[in-house]
Amino acid sequence: MAQDIENELIKAIVRQKKLDAATINRGSLLTELGITSLDAISIVYDIEEQFGIEVPNEALQGLQTVGDIVDSLTRLIEDQA
Amino acid sequence: MSALGLSTRQFRDALRQGKPGIGPLTGLPTEHLKVRIGAQVPAYRPQDCFAAADLPLLDRFSQFALLAAREAVADSGLEPTALRAAAAVIGTGCGGKGTDEETYQRLYREARPRVHPLTIPKGMPSAAVSQLSMQLGITGPVFSVASACASAAHAVGLALILIRSGVVDVALAGGTDAPFTFGLMKAWEALRVLSTDTCRPFSKDRSGLVLGEGAAVVVLESRESARRRGAVLHAELAGCGMSADAAHITDPSVAGAARAMRAALADAALLPADVDYVNAHGTGTLANDVSETRALHQVFGDHAARLAVSSTKSMHGHSLGAAGAHELIATVLALEEGMMPPTANFTEAGEGCDLDYVPNEARQGRLRVALSNSFAFGGLNAVLALRAADR
Repeated sequence: MAQDIENELIKAIVRQKKLDAATINRGSLLTELGITSLDAISIVYDIEEQFGIEVPNEALQGLQTVGDIVDSLTRLIEDQA
Repeated sequence: MSALGLSTRQFRDALRQGKPGIGPLTGLPTEHLKVRIGAQVPAYRPQDCFAAADLPLLDRFSQFALLAAREAVADSGLEPTALRAAAAVIGTGCGGKGTDEETYQRLYREARPRVHPLTIPKGMPSAAVSQLSMQLGITGPVFSVASACASAAHAVGLALILIRSGVVDVALAGGTDAPFTFGLMKAWEALRVLSTDTCRPFSKDRSGLVLGEGAAVVVLESRESARRRGAVLHAELAGCGMSADAAHITDPSVAGAARAMRAALADAALLPADVDYVNAHGTGTLANDVSETRALHQVFGDHAARLAVSSTKSMHGHSLGAAGAHELIATVLALEEGMMPPTANFTEAGEGCDLDYVPNEARQGRLRVALSNSFAFGGLNAVLALRAADR
């Protein structure tokens, strides 16, 4: 499940930022990927639509890496399943 | 017209008491909303204020503008001949959203084959100012202005330019917005800048903005014209500064804000050290409050520590296209009455917020010069500079 989320998240980041998926992994820093706050909420919107989940604002605080987002989303999907 | 009441007197009393008008949302379905608070106009019934025959053309945002304008004109003592030659410039952020949503509901949800014929004249963004001109007999330059949260401040600035350049002697200026529809609430939620708690500008535990609604209108007049007819002056609009960030569509820019404040001071022939009070844009978002504080430091230097800075959005909410006008009136009242409205809901200063924000309680003091800031999404900035009226 976490792998699905990670794959979909990376695809969403690629769509938003036009990056090469091969350069993105769990450890990638959001700031290094050039992901601004507006990018982040657009990416999260994609994931919400895809997985049918609601991501509250609190779940987006303090996220620094792609892995942080994956973990936060995994928890939400499990809670909302 | 605001969350603080239906008149300037009620507005003033609430500001003085530091009493916020933020509460649970009513009049729209909140079941599917995460954010269920707002600063709505209390105890307002359109049927008490307008003839039934007039209401079909009056979206809520037009109603607010008309009521605010009526009060301003009554207070000014302007004769119909003066109004006929006047200008009217009204800012709005979202225009007739209520009308739009009713229309979409009918078409898309109910699959009805037709919409009401008055949909366009009722909902168009210029409807409010057109109605104002029709009802008050204003036949000079009349138009609406849109710059998101700075709309009303820009409207006032443009009216000032019209008067200074001799196009008119008198202008009605202000702003109006009625954003509490289901669709707009969802849109604002999606941007993740709304608080579910309350509006706490400059506080450590601030969590975003709280939307507001309403309208505010002022009568601007050239000094000569006012003197000739012995008008009572509430304050002097000394200048206006406008700038654009040319940076980000939502993030604020310290440089852009500072430029607008400096431009306002220069336009008013004022020095930073002349300013006693600043009515901040102060939305209560993490981004704005720090950015605005930095900009104030840049413009005012050492004098920043001596400024009183407060955000009245903590009480009337972020009324979008009306905010600049609500705040202008709060600033005029501050100068007139020697009373600085507080920043309500203040707990403890946030990181990077180190100025005197007049926390929670209004403060007496003789004020001579004040600024009112509006720094909008899309980097559009307008700052108004005011002087206390000559006594």
